[in-house]
Amino acid sequence: MISTIRSEWIKLRSVRSNLVMMGVALFAPIAIVLLTVSFMELSSVSDVTIAELLAGSGTFSIMMLGVVGVLSVTQEYSQGTIRITLAATPKRLRVHLAKMAVVVGVAAVIMAIVLLVGRLAGSAILDSRGFGGSLGYDGEGAVYGALLVTAMVVAVLGCAAGTVTRNPPGAISALLLWPLVVESIVGGVLGVLIDGWKQDWMPFQTGLNGVLVSTHDLEFGRWGSIGYFSLWVAALSLLAVRLLRRRDA
Amino acid sequence: MIVVDDLTKKYGATTAVDRLSFSVAPGRVTGFLGPNGSGKSTTMRCMIGLDRATSGTTLFDGRPYAHLRQPLVEVGALLDAGNAHVGRTARNHLRWIAASNGLPARRVDETLEMVGLQQVAKKRVGQFSLGMKQRLGIAAVMLGDPRVVILDEPANGLDPEGIRWIREILKDLANQGRSVLVSSHLLAEMAMIADDLVVIGRGRLVDQCTVNEFIDRHATKWVTVRSPDLDRLIELARATGLVPERVGDGVEFHGVDSSVVGELAAAHGLVLHQLASQTGSLEDAFLRVTADSVEYHGDSESKR
Repeated sequence: MISTIRSEWIKLRSVRSNLVMMGVALFAPIAIVLLTVSFMELSSVSDVTIAELLAGSGTFSIMMLGVVGVLSVTQEYSQGTIRITLAATPKRLRVHLAKMAVVVGVAAVIMAIVLLVGRLAGSAILDSRGFGGSLGYDGEGAVYGALLVTAMVVAVLGCAAGTVTRNPPGAISALLLWPLVVESIVGGVLGVLIDGWKQDWMPFQTGLNGVLVSTHDLEFGRWGSIGYFSLWVAALSLLAVRLLRRRDA
Repeated sequence: MIVVDDLTKKYGATTAVDRLSFSVAPGRVTGFLGPNGSGKSTTMRCMIGLDRATSGTTLFDGRPYAHLRQPLVEVGALLDAGNAHVGRTARNHLRWIAASNGLPARRVDETLEMVGLQQVAKKRVGQFSLGMKQRLGIAAVMLGDPRVVILDEPANGLDPEGIRWIREILKDLANQGRSVLVSSHLLAEMAMIADDLVVIGRGRLVDQCTVNEFIDRHATKWVTVRSPDLDRLIELARATGLVPERVGDGVEFHGVDSSVVGELAAAHGLVLHQLASQTGSLEDAFLRVTADSVEYHGDSESKR
């Protein structure tokens, strides 16, 4: 298993487009947070400001890490290397688990750096601009923890979506459009058709809502929402592994 | 040793490989021949588990591919030289393959040197010619120094020097005791490389034997005669039921042994300047034996 993980890690970091996506996931949210705190009115800064900024820009980073997960799989199909991969490692479950392990690790490290740099540098900038108030609050750690976990879950989702579709544009489109468009439309239609329907039953949007600073309105709460989303991702991953094992390479 | 037993692969109603059985012996190059669409590539993919065989087995030294602990050490397969990420360098392409089976990094440099790509190791595969990709594919095959080598059309895109290089590599590999299975459309090349042949048509085994046996069994045979008494010889031959065919300043007899023609000439005191038994090439034998298996004919072929 270690050999397979090492192999997948070499694959991921030896292609420029993957490095670009990882760079965007790392630097874009940090840049957004630091630029915002550098120029925003100090009067509008409160103890939740940095956490809110990190939750917003971190969601963008989460989607980019999902794309990294997609690319880690679909590149293999578009470039034909899946045949070498599966010939080198005939145990296909092991290949999928190794890919998941690598993208989950990358997602965790990138999100941890985003949170650490965003929080520390953001505070330093606000302090240097003369903001004297507190920049932390009791629930802050939960927001950062939710961002970290959701990034890892979406990276796993990317792997699963890539394995099911085997097509880079298709999987990336599905990943990005699903929470933004499909769940809104489907949820809206189901809301009309089913009495008592709740939009929080749409998994991806609910999962992403779990990273919000305020989670009072969530049907399942912060960790319940992320857990609910994770169950759907686990189900899709099981489908992906089943397809990977059954399909011809 | 590779043993393919009763291998069948169906895609819906289409049977691509039909109860195919053959073996590939160690220390020999076995050519895998068949017309386009005859199931060669599908067979190779099924052998190493990339495609799920509908039924049948393939054993490598007695074990199925899926049970090999370090597959690249046992079996090296090159099914398509284009299976490499265009944005990855040659060296990194080999690095991830080597890492997947826990092979030491030095094997990457050794195999790059072996195929003559060490100078372009840091170039992206997208900048490679087809010939260079073939060499990279061979390097990947040799990473694990495998006992069995499977190559699908390895000479595709290679220049004459490259074709000679692949010929020498394949012979070296067999001489080292490895089992080598190689498919190719270059039949003249195959005649030089292969010791044994597995010939298939429409997914079924047509013949398995040595190259010489295959030519002997299936190629056209004829006798060429040159004589100052050619007209008389033709006349006598026709009288005895033979079918002579005048070609240039000689005559050819198909389907008879040279001794029959020689004895006929001797019995009538005719002088012969040439009496030679001729046998067709591997290409001739292959085309004859697979004539019924070719799915797509050109106009000139279909009019024959």
